[in-house]
Amino acid sequence: MLRLSRSPGLFLCVGLLSVCLAGALFAPFLANDPLMTTPANRLMPPGPDAWFGTDHLGRDIFARSLYGARVSLSVGFAVAMLAVGIGLTLGVLAGYWRWLDRLLMRVMDGVMAIPSILLAIALVALHEPGLGIMVIAIAIPEIPRVARLARAVILSVRELPYVEAATASGIRTPRVLLRYIMPSTYAPLMVQGTYIVASAIIIESSLSFLGAGLPPEVPTWGNMIASSRLYISTAPWTVFVPGSFLAVVIYSINLIGDALRDHLDVRMAGPG
Amino acid sequence: MTLSRRGFLCRSAAAGALLSMPLKAFAQSGEMGMLRVAVYTDMVGYDPIVTTSNIAAYHGALVYDMLFGNDENQMPHPQMVGDYTISEDKLTWTMTLRDGLTFSDGSPVTTADVIPSILRWQARASQNGKLLAAATQELVALDDRTFQFKLKEPFPLLAAMLGSPATPLCFIMRKREAEMDPAQAVDVCIGSGPYVLNTQETRPGIDYVYDRNPNYVPREEPASGLSGAKIANFERVILVNMPDAQTAIAALQAGEIDFYEIPPIDFLPVLESDSNLKVADIMKSGTEGSIILNWLQPPFDNLKVRQAMLYAIDQEAVLKGLFGDPNWFNAHPSWFTYGSPLYNEANSEWFRIAPDPEKAKQLLAEGGYDGTPVVLLQATDRQVNADAVTIIAQQMRAAGFNVQIDAIDWATLLQRRPNKGPVSEGGWNAFVSTFNGFISSNPYTFGHMATIGENGWFGWPSDERNEELKAAWMKAETPEERVAIAAEIQENAWNIVPRVSYGHWVQPVAYRSNLDGFVSIPGVLAFWNVKRV
Amino acid sequence: MLGHFIKGLTTAIPVMAVVAIIVFLLLFLAPGDPAAIMAGENATADTIAQLRVALGVDQPIHLRFWNWLSPILHGDLGNSIYWRQSVVSLIGQRAGPTISLAVTTLFVSVCTAVTLGVIAAARVNSRLDRAIMGFAVIAFSVPTFVVGYLLMFVFAVRLGYLPVQGYKPISAGFWPWLSHLILPSLTLGTVYVALIARITRASMLEVLSEDYIRTARAKGVPRRSILFRHALKNAAVPIATIVGNGIAILISGVVITETVFNVPGIGRLVVDAIARRDYPIIQGVTLLFAGVYVCINLLVDISYRLFDPRIRY
Repeated sequence: MLRLSRSPGLFLCVGLLSVCLAGALFAPFLANDPLMTTPANRLMPPGPDAWFGTDHLGRDIFARSLYGARVSLSVGFAVAMLAVGIGLTLGVLAGYWRWLDRLLMRVMDGVMAIPSILLAIALVALHEPGLGIMVIAIAIPEIPRVARLARAVILSVRELPYVEAATASGIRTPRVLLRYIMPSTYAPLMVQGTYIVASAIIIESSLSFLGAGLPPEVPTWGNMIASSRLYISTAPWTVFVPGSFLAVVIYSINLIGDALRDHLDVRMAGPG
Repeated sequence: MTLSRRGFLCRSAAAGALLSMPLKAFAQSGEMGMLRVAVYTDMVGYDPIVTTSNIAAYHGALVYDMLFGNDENQMPHPQMVGDYTISEDKLTWTMTLRDGLTFSDGSPVTTADVIPSILRWQARASQNGKLLAAATQELVALDDRTFQFKLKEPFPLLAAMLGSPATPLCFIMRKREAEMDPAQAVDVCIGSGPYVLNTQETRPGIDYVYDRNPNYVPREEPASGLSGAKIANFERVILVNMPDAQTAIAALQAGEIDFYEIPPIDFLPVLESDSNLKVADIMKSGTEGSIILNWLQPPFDNLKVRQAMLYAIDQEAVLKGLFGDPNWFNAHPSWFTYGSPLYNEANSEWFRIAPDPEKAKQLLAEGGYDGTPVVLLQATDRQVNADAVTIIAQQMRAAGFNVQIDAIDWATLLQRRPNKGPVSEGGWNAFVSTFNGFISSNPYTFGHMATIGENGWFGWPSDERNEELKAAWMKAETPEERVAIAAEIQENAWNIVPRVSYGHWVQPVAYRSNLDGFVSIPGVLAFWNVKRV
Repeated sequence: MLGHFIKGLTTAIPVMAVVAIIVFLLLFLAPGDPAAIMAGENATADTIAQLRVALGVDQPIHLRFWNWLSPILHGDLGNSIYWRQSVVSLIGQRAGPTISLAVTTLFVSVCTAVTLGVIAAARVNSRLDRAIMGFAVIAFSVPTFVVGYLLMFVFAVRLGYLPVQGYKPISAGFWPWLSHLILPSLTLGTVYVALIARITRASMLEVLSEDYIRTARAKGVPRRSILFRHALKNAAVPIATIVGNGIAILISGVVITETVFNVPGIGRLVVDAIARRDYPIIQGVTLLFAGVYVCINLLVDISYRLFDPRIRY
């Protein structure tokens, strides 16, 4: 497997991510009600009563951060699965049927030309805010990269002797695709998928921050930062605790992506 | 060598400045002739009759003039009117416009402009205008400068209403705009006030530029409130939209702006410790936080459910969350403004133990509340509003309401609140607003003390007894009698729960200490007479 | 040159067409009446009816597309619901800050990133290299607005070196203008620098392993000259590509950075429009930004020829 022991940094990342994941899963048992306002305890610095302090309405930042992890991680994984699923399908179609290729790739170019945050904003602005539309809005701009990657892999594989042999021996196209071509896309897509989890978390938090995400009351890291930004000078923890959660989780995921890439020996640039 | 290099630097700097300098450059440099005011919310439109937000009133006070102006003690004095006479039987008021009134397009102000302006204001003004309309037999022009109110019954408050600072103020527009549909905002902004909106240099959403009106002739009496001389000491007044308090405070400290409308209470210690700045309560009337309930739609069409709100809301907790420092706020159980002459606490003992979620739940059950979501509008760009809604929603949930917060911005909220329909058609159940304390200190100054159903202010409560009591208050002759009736109004109020309060606080303004000459008008910031010393 | 330009256009135009179709579909596939969306929540029935006619809501889809597109092709992006003013003029009023911010960032970022990438490649696997690449991963992992608040907290709030927020036009003086741009530019540039630095390093490494570099080195050509004159020139194509593609990151970043630092630019315009559901503005800015992205990539495409005359399409 990944040689964790040889890379203490990676080990730490996997550890931190697991802790976050566990925290998110078991948030109801670990933390108070994240919506509960206790104005008497507003803007408390981190301490024994509130580990990460409280915000200006006296809400527990530890609790809100854990519940925020739920939103961020579930959006991240959902987006990655959706984008990889659709991107792979389109990539295979484009890579295998050349007549579709030009059309699909032009469409992908068009999607890539629209800045991802703006495309997501436009999608969200037109619908009732909710988790479902967020996932779709964040996934769409990620699809072209997956599709291009899958297409490139397929183009390089389809001319290989064993694929040509399979086609020549009369195996039907869907079966050739599934059995002989698609498996070679799994490794690069796994790596790409990991990077997408990270970038989806960034975009989700940015949308929340801009007021185009989930409603401000819902504890997400972006919402927490947006609602506390007035207090950055007087109570910096209200901004930097959720900020650190974001940074640590995304950094860990990116490093895991890099490690996967090296381990699976995929030639790819990395996140971004 | 040194000389030539300096020459080169000067030349290149000048060239650079010329190349990149729009005309506005002079305006940005902050010289003596300009007053830069940071306002917290953006303007929804230029029509202060259609929009009753504070910012629209600031805009209106700069651009338009009024027939009368109430002084600091709310006594009316003629403003655009020169002379007026009241007939023996008190049924005919004859008013003559004073000399030198011109609109900023150069046309003179005549009764042809004044009368439709009054009518349009009456159509929009929730309470005072409508009362006046009901008492008026006829409003006629005698000539270009003279017009007459012929009344059905004596109406001693006529001048005070035309000069009232309660929004919408009775601003006088041109005939062309005044005859537009009162439901639609006017499309051009031409008034006869001390300043003129400079539409060329105004950048909507960023800043609004007002230049001195060269044609304006101020009165000679000393200024007090909306009355007396309105002297445009500054060549130019700019209202800068600064939704972010951090920016506004930094800009005020750096002298980039001169005046900040709503400094958050949390930051007052910082501002007070800066010797270049002054923190002052110039409106002198405090602010009342109010939860507006929609009487037309379930569940707040039900009295028990409204009364449950009185048990649900813990003012102390809301105010503490909003402002922290208890020196600036007061929790109180009255419908009247805290500390105002009519303030009393009749009929409030029963819910003063609030919050009492158990009592609230019991009332909800009695009122047949079935758990349908209650849509509470939240203005996310106004920190006080957003935070108040967050806490209030929590308190309502604890009391058994199923609250759904609809997060929009304040401008959208203003556009949405006139919707009387059910939630499924874009309506609402409740929203949170703030009122200048002056407005709820007296049952006749503002519509939200009216209970005239769909003709009234948003929330549309209706109750005949309240209207009878208000009529009695109006006819009362002595202050003692008025206080006694106010107690009855208060008594009746919590039997019907027209709206729910979340407390009273003082919202000061902050400005550079070299400014002086502010006039005190409840709810309205006016920038005439202000000067740099 | 003209031939290259025309060839570039033949790829740019289809992309813009796809962008237009996507933005159109966003509007017409959304739940509800597109005319009502364009007119805003508080529109009168009259306004909506007029818009229905203008958009031709009841016509077949290709006609609707044309009705929607033709004013845009004529430079008319419609009117803002909220301000009742044309979107084009609103964008014009906000363009100054955004252009200042974007151009400063672009210039500074590209210089910094290429330098960092070349240094990392020149000293591959050294501590410096690892530090630079480590920075790149971190830069990718911290959301733009968190970077912004961190910089603001340290340099403006605590140290007080720079203004906290806001924007000054250059007419207010060079230093006021620049000082208000430094933190936003650093914020905006972080991810972009990381992206370009990494690609620069990778393509430099590839070029440095080529035979002719080894020959040059053997001949005793000075190290600096090898790096910057020979290697960087040959690594320029992938670097130019990523500079162009990275514009998308820069544009998304503008929207966030302007919000963090309260810069009254096009990004703030669109953020304000989201809260107000002012769809014509959202749509107009989306089209504009996509257009900028396509144009810059077209320029990058043409610039390939300048770097490497061997490239033919």
